[in-house]
Amino acid sequence: MSKELRFLIVDDFSTMRRIVRNLLKESGFADADEAEDGVIALQKLRNSSFDFVVSDINMPNMNGFQLLSEIKKDEKLKHLPVLMVTAEARKEDIVMAAQQGAAGYIVKPFTKATLEDKVNHILTKLGLK
Amino acid sequence: MAAPDASVVDSSSAAVDVHQQIGALTRQLHDSLNGLGLTAKVQNWAGELPDAKSRLSYIARLTGEAAEKVLNQVDQAKAQHDFIKTETHRIGQLIVKDPVAAVAKGHVMNFIEDVDKASRAVDQHLTAIMMAQDFHDLTGQVIAKVVNLAATIEEQLVQLLIQTAPPEAAVKVPSTHEQYTPALDGPVVNAEGNADVVTNQSEVDDLLASLGF
Repeated sequence: MSKELRFLIVDDFSTMRRIVRNLLKESGFADADEAEDGVIALQKLRNSSFDFVVSDINMPNMNGFQLLSEIKKDEKLKHLPVLMVTAEARKEDIVMAAQQGAAGYIVKPFTKATLEDKVNHILTKLGLK
Repeated sequence: MAAPDASVVDSSSAAVDVHQQIGALTRQLHDSLNGLGLTAKVQNWAGELPDAKSRLSYIARLTGEAAEKVLNQVDQAKAQHDFIKTETHRIGQLIVKDPVAAVAKGHVMNFIEDVDKASRAVDQHLTAIMMAQDFHDLTGQVIAKVVNLAATIEEQLVQLLIQTAPPEAAVKVPSTHEQYTPALDGPVVNAEGNADVVTNQSEVDDLLASLGF
């Protein structure tokens, strides 16, 4: 069932989007789309159907915190799990992400096992796996 | 008493002149900075330059580590690949020589298992090579900060030049750079002694767990 889940990967660096996409594919989640900032991500989320968002924080136009806030304010999107994958390592950022409703927080650089563990943990918690 | 050497006198006098000119320029710059209220900004630059230096060191370290990691993984993947190549050649010869014996003695089955194992190892090396490319994202964020600092200093120096130039030389130059101050810190280039940041994923997990998340 979880193999049919659709992911949206949001990061301003194409290299990182490819890495996350490949790792998700290796973990059995082949259906993924990409967005290079929060604005594009929000457009895609509103125009298409997704089950999971993996988002960076430090991005131009709309950062990850703003995107998270917009998702949680939107009745149609607020159920979506948002996993933050970021280089922001300040404790206050981690706490803020959790308080705003992030489903998880991964600090870069990360390993394949970490991403896989967090995604599976979130999916299990939400009954999606 | 011999007359002083004229060239020595000239050289000494020129050195005093240069020294006085540098002194005058320094005073003029100091007064101009004060007059323009830029002293605090210069102090900020001075504070940020060592930070820029440690950011550049971070970039050098991360790119160096990534290159090292990739080369090591390629070496190991190539060794696995050589093994597959050699074994394929060997099993081919055995099959040509005596196909029944090759199967009956387990050579073919062993070959299949060995190749499967080697292929998995190669796949792991390829994943590690892919993961090593994360330096692009991390260093890119740090480079952006250093570029911003350089651009800010450049712009303010240009403004200083414009405002202190004699009227006949003054040319109005439009600002080409809007100062960008990121609200976010980006990668931690030096976490030593900084209790406000985490240094690995387990610290993130511990922090969130302590808050009940």
